[in-house]
Amino acid sequence: MKPGFPILLVMVASLSAWAAEMHAPAQVTAGTSLAIATNGSGRGTFYLIGPAKVSKRDIQMGSQISVDADELERAGRYLAILCASDGCTATNFSVIAAAPNRLSLLVHPSRVPVAMSNGITTVAFVFDNFRNLVLKSAPVEFTILPKDGSELRATRQSEHGVAWVTMTSARKEGITRIGASVGHASEVRVVQQVASDACNLRIKASRVNRELLVETDPVRDCSGNPVPDGTVVSFTMTDMGGKTTVDVPIKRGIAKITMPIKGRARISVASGVVTGNDLEVTGG
Amino acid sequence: MKNQLRSFFIFLTIWVAGLLLLRFSVSAGELPRVELSADNIQPRPIEDLTAKSVPRDYALAWQSMERALEENRSELLDAYWTGLAKDDLASRIKTQIGARLRTRYVDGGHKLEAVFYSPAGDALELKDHVHAQLQILDEDKVVYQEAMIVDYMVLMTPGADRWLVRDLEALSPAKPE
Amino acid sequence: MKNVLAVFIVLATGLFVVLAWFQSGGGERRQMRSASTPEQAARFLLSEIQDRNFERAYEQLANRSDVDKKTFIREFNGSDGSLLTYASLETFDVWGLRTDAQEASVRARLHYTTAVGPLDDVRDIKLERRGETWKVLWPVNPTPKLPPQVIPVNYLRWDVINPRDGDDWGVQSVDSPQVRIISMNAISRPDSVVLVGEVVNEDSVPAYVNVGATLLDASGAELAQESSFDKISHTLLPKQVSPYRIDFPNLRLERVKKVRMDVKALLESASADPVIEISQQKIETDPLGKQVLSGQLVNESGQVVNIPHVIAAYYDSNGKVIWVSDGYVAQALLPQVPVPFAVDLPAEVAKNVHSYRVVVNHFNTTAQT
Repeated sequence: MKPGFPILLVMVASLSAWAAEMHAPAQVTAGTSLAIATNGSGRGTFYLIGPAKVSKRDIQMGSQISVDADELERAGRYLAILCASDGCTATNFSVIAAAPNRLSLLVHPSRVPVAMSNGITTVAFVFDNFRNLVLKSAPVEFTILPKDGSELRATRQSEHGVAWVTMTSARKEGITRIGASVGHASEVRVVQQVASDACNLRIKASRVNRELLVETDPVRDCSGNPVPDGTVVSFTMTDMGGKTTVDVPIKRGIAKITMPIKGRARISVASGVVTGNDLEVTGG
Repeated sequence: MKNQLRSFFIFLTIWVAGLLLLRFSVSAGELPRVELSADNIQPRPIEDLTAKSVPRDYALAWQSMERALEENRSELLDAYWTGLAKDDLASRIKTQIGARLRTRYVDGGHKLEAVFYSPAGDALELKDHVHAQLQILDEDKVVYQEAMIVDYMVLMTPGADRWLVRDLEALSPAKPE
Repeated sequence: MKNVLAVFIVLATGLFVVLAWFQSGGGERRQMRSASTPEQAARFLLSEIQDRNFERAYEQLANRSDVDKKTFIREFNGSDGSLLTYASLETFDVWGLRTDAQEASVRARLHYTTAVGPLDDVRDIKLERRGETWKVLWPVNPTPKLPPQVIPVNYLRWDVINPRDGDDWGVQSVDSPQVRIISMNAISRPDSVVLVGEVVNEDSVPAYVNVGATLLDASGAELAQESSFDKISHTLLPKQVSPYRIDFPNLRLERVKKVRMDVKALLESASADPVIEISQQKIETDPLGKQVLSGQLVNESGQVVNIPHVIAAYYDSNGKVIWVSDGYVAQALLPQVPVPFAVDLPAEVAKNVHSYRVVVNHFNTTAQT
């Protein structure tokens, strides 16, 4: 606590006691008009200082100053200043957010491996129609609609304008829809649940003309979901000619490559940090 | 006699205010003091690096806002402000230019309390307890000044290499401590 | 007086022309044209190539009847958008290997400047005596020609739609890819500190990856900050692993107390093709006595790869990455045509190499859809 400030405030307050007076409500809701009563006579200048707008106009002292709704759309602290020939006086008032009518919904990640515990987080920021954060607690309803399942619902009270939930991803790959609603506002996001790392990665080899065709079994994760096409599978073959490596993307569920072979060869396979079986083959 | 007493009181008020300004404020160009507390944050703790960068970036945001409002230069907001907070300040500067007004802050320091840190680390909500001297200038004449103590709700989101202020909303009018 | 001035101008102009001729290597070429030694013949040929006088270089060949002129020119001038199409032969060295009465061989090191940095090419050149002069016997390497055909490609591609300017915060967004550094090893070199390791794209979408690092001293102060620049395969398909190397020149490892790694990944439109096979990989000693990892690249797809870039990670017996080296390949990769490559390996590292892994990055100079 800084000791100087109260003294200063008292002094500032006492200074304003001699100037013309204004009376404004302590608090108004965003987007509503306002009337400020003044006393005194003659002409004066009225200033309205808001978070997103300031205005200045000449007024007749003793009359009511009307402030339009569009000047009071942003929530926060407003300062009304009235200056006349004998000095200035000021008052401040708060504009608070209107009823919840918008949501900013942050859902992460947009792609998640299947069966990941608390792998999806959903955060809803509650705003009013003028995009003011609604700080008053409000019930936010979260919904989860899996691809082939029934809808799940959960309600959380917002605190400081925010409500959140975490959830575990499904065991089956595919999209899931995550929604949140408050008041008239609702938002939906899509999360893609994708297969996890390859599991039991296996290769087999067969001879095609003078080359060796090496291909994987259908590549699946440990829950049996097919690993997405485009996922890279690395084949490594070591034979008399040296070492051969190829990074092959999975296409239609399998990865395959033909390689020339000299004498005995050892072939191994990996995808990311997952390794599969080794093959020993004899070429021509 | 009444007028003389009043003039004396005005002079005394401005003199004391000036002394206090010197004692408690930061000089122009100096970074505002920002203390961050993250003891009651939900739903997850803040990382060490974030705990260092948020007060620094928030101080820089206030510094740039104070300069922007005093010099009526909205381009100064580009570095540390984004979204609606930036739009609001830019709009305020535009109307300040139209009305030939300026706003001068002399920053007295910030006590930041982190209240929400999203699990994905993409949003941070804080309360800021601000001490500052505020002056409203019509052309070069001070039409109002006060020592303000205001609580703000702040929403920060990460940018490419810094935290940006996305929303800044005053919670209550000035109230003496 | 007038005449004196005119004569002076004519003489001075003549002098400048002669000086310019010598300056441009004309004298040297005149001397080399005699090609009385194998080295002179090779130098003359290479100086013509350096001046991009490919026709005259071709005329110097002893076996023109066997060598196709266009193929010869393509070897130096590049083709199919290869790196040599963006290169020029800056310098060359020639030294003799063997000379007898009628035949000789020399070794030439060609130093190119290219769009991606310097490129060295070492060639052994055979020559034969024709009367009083030596002529180059250019190797006859018939370019393998792929018969016209249709190569079916199940084209797999990812496109990214980025948020538009002015989109609201908190609307649907797509996360950056998940990538992870799976290993990092700080190595002390005589004149630098080098960080090597591998990074994997753990996501199900392609990623544009860059690895950066900051070195800190005992007090936590920043010593240096660098990134992997081109010593990484930036585009990683799902589950693809790339080696990376970050060089910190003029720094001693003893000063480094802590390393802060920073891996950045962005969504990137990418294609799963082309697939490039890296065969016949082996560590060997090149003609200059240096340790190299050599092999050949085979483009398994149907589209031309303009500029291939080879990156190799070397492991010790514990599976730790102990070095990463890279090199650009001068030739473009035509479908299914093998192209040799070799990347350097420091001798002191080579003796500890237990295994290695090679990846091929590629750059296309023409847009392909």
